[in-house]
Amino acid sequence: MLLEIDNLCLSFGGLKATNDVTMHMEGGKINGIIGPNGAGKTTFFNQISGVYKPDSGTIKFDGKRIDGLKPYQINEAGIARTYQVINLFKKMTVMENVMVGMHPRLKSGFFASTLHTKKQREEEKTIREKAMDLLRFVGLEDYANEQAGSLSYGQQRLLEIVRGLASDPKLILLDEPAAGMNSTEKVELNYLLHRILDRGVTILIVEHDMKLMMGVCDRIFVLNYGKKLAEGTPEEVQKNPEVIAAYLGGDET
Amino acid sequence: MFLQILISGFVLGCVYGLIALGYSLIYKSSGLMNFVQGDVLTLGAFLGYTFFSLLKLPYLVSLILTVLVAFLFGMAMEHFVIGKLLKKNVLAIYVVLATIAVQYILQNSIQGIWSTKMLSYPQIFSVSSIKIAGVSIQTESVFCIFMSFLCMAGLQIFMKHTRFGTAMRASAMDAKAAQACGINTSLSTGISWGIAAGMAALAGILLGPIYGVFIMLGSTIGRKGFAGAIMGGYGNLIGAIVGGILLGVTETFVAGYLSSTYKDMIAYALLLLFLFVKPTGIFNERAISE
Repeated sequence: MLLEIDNLCLSFGGLKATNDVTMHMEGGKINGIIGPNGAGKTTFFNQISGVYKPDSGTIKFDGKRIDGLKPYQINEAGIARTYQVINLFKKMTVMENVMVGMHPRLKSGFFASTLHTKKQREEEKTIREKAMDLLRFVGLEDYANEQAGSLSYGQQRLLEIVRGLASDPKLILLDEPAAGMNSTEKVELNYLLHRILDRGVTILIVEHDMKLMMGVCDRIFVLNYGKKLAEGTPEEVQKNPEVIAAYLGGDET
Repeated sequence: MFLQILISGFVLGCVYGLIALGYSLIYKSSGLMNFVQGDVLTLGAFLGYTFFSLLKLPYLVSLILTVLVAFLFGMAMEHFVIGKLLKKNVLAIYVVLATIAVQYILQNSIQGIWSTKMLSYPQIFSVSSIKIAGVSIQTESVFCIFMSFLCMAGLQIFMKHTRFGTAMRASAMDAKAAQACGINTSLSTGISWGIAAGMAALAGILLGPIYGVFIMLGSTIGRKGFAGAIMGGYGNLIGAIVGGILLGVTETFVAGYLSSTYKDMIAYALLLLFLFVKPTGIFNERAISE
């Protein structure tokens, strides 16, 4: 198992945002989390990526405990993420954004990078080439020197994903990547997710678009009121009466 | 006369510029104002005096040690005071007030450790003046301008072309995203405060030999540096330098050709004018790409 989450709990005041959730995810798969609004999906994500510290429970990634680590340490451990609201360095160029994403994988130390040694210059050249490859991967190579803030909404989403990939993660967490995308872009996203998987990066995705999720995910976990309601293949989940009740009977779809 | 005034205007302007850079750096990294800047300059002048004049260390060694101590002071202040307050979700205005509290604590401590008397550096360079275009200029003044420009250029290169600088810019632009990219944002913020303090102390050890060392050396300069940062475009690093130098040169010319009685009045009138006419400063953050 790549990601093993056991008995995770987190409360905000009296609200149990994550209530004894256990999820085990295999590597090399597209895993999805669905659930009605307010089910605690983003909160759950934020605990994996270190933004929130769980009250109790454990998160093991690649066999190592990562719960309670700081976000940058979790990134170093091999988990990248994107946000529901786009978080790009808008005033940097598209290329620079990707280069910042490579930050934890760079080797030159403080002095080498300040003094611009030969080794550091070579590293920088490699970085630029790698960043360009990544931009090509999502078709943004022509925008390399544009300001990130000037890209279209869909392109900014792609840039955020590729910036996540820049740190060579084993797992990428995508928080509602299809939000604000039109149907053509969604089809492209579906295709992109499979290409990311082909690079050897496991995916964990939170998304509202049921059609996309049922079509793309290998395994789906359902959250409701902070609890895990069900898990299984898309077919199993779709037939699960509890899931149907949560979506149809719930008053907060 | 003109050249001499221009040079002393640049000396003062460079010092304002160094202070203004600190203000802008801290504003960019934390969205705050740090009113300790001016007194860190005083601290730098006293530390430099101690290393150079009392401990008889070479001037360059004294300079490096002074900047290093101030850097650590800045980082410690961010870590133990500012960071702690921000973690408690204290409103920004109260954090700014806390920096004023630290300012007076520092000022009083300097007074306790050293003295209230004016101290002067012994001669630093074997040549006491340099002739430029027939006018003799104090070597310390030339050195002050040279070092300030070196430091400003160094900071630009550091911020734009090194991995640490890029990480710092990234943290300043969007802390959440920077963390997700594997950047230790609290370390970046700490380093920003450290660099700001280091530059203020550098200004102190450069200015001390020219102006003499006394307890209130930095308080006026601190305020002027702040004004320079606003005129240049608060938060913009190039703007801070330009604003600082503009203020210093204007002030010195007013003192030289009109009367030194009005130099502060004119300097602050210039600030007011900027606030009314161009509050975004010379280098508008939104108009100038980073």
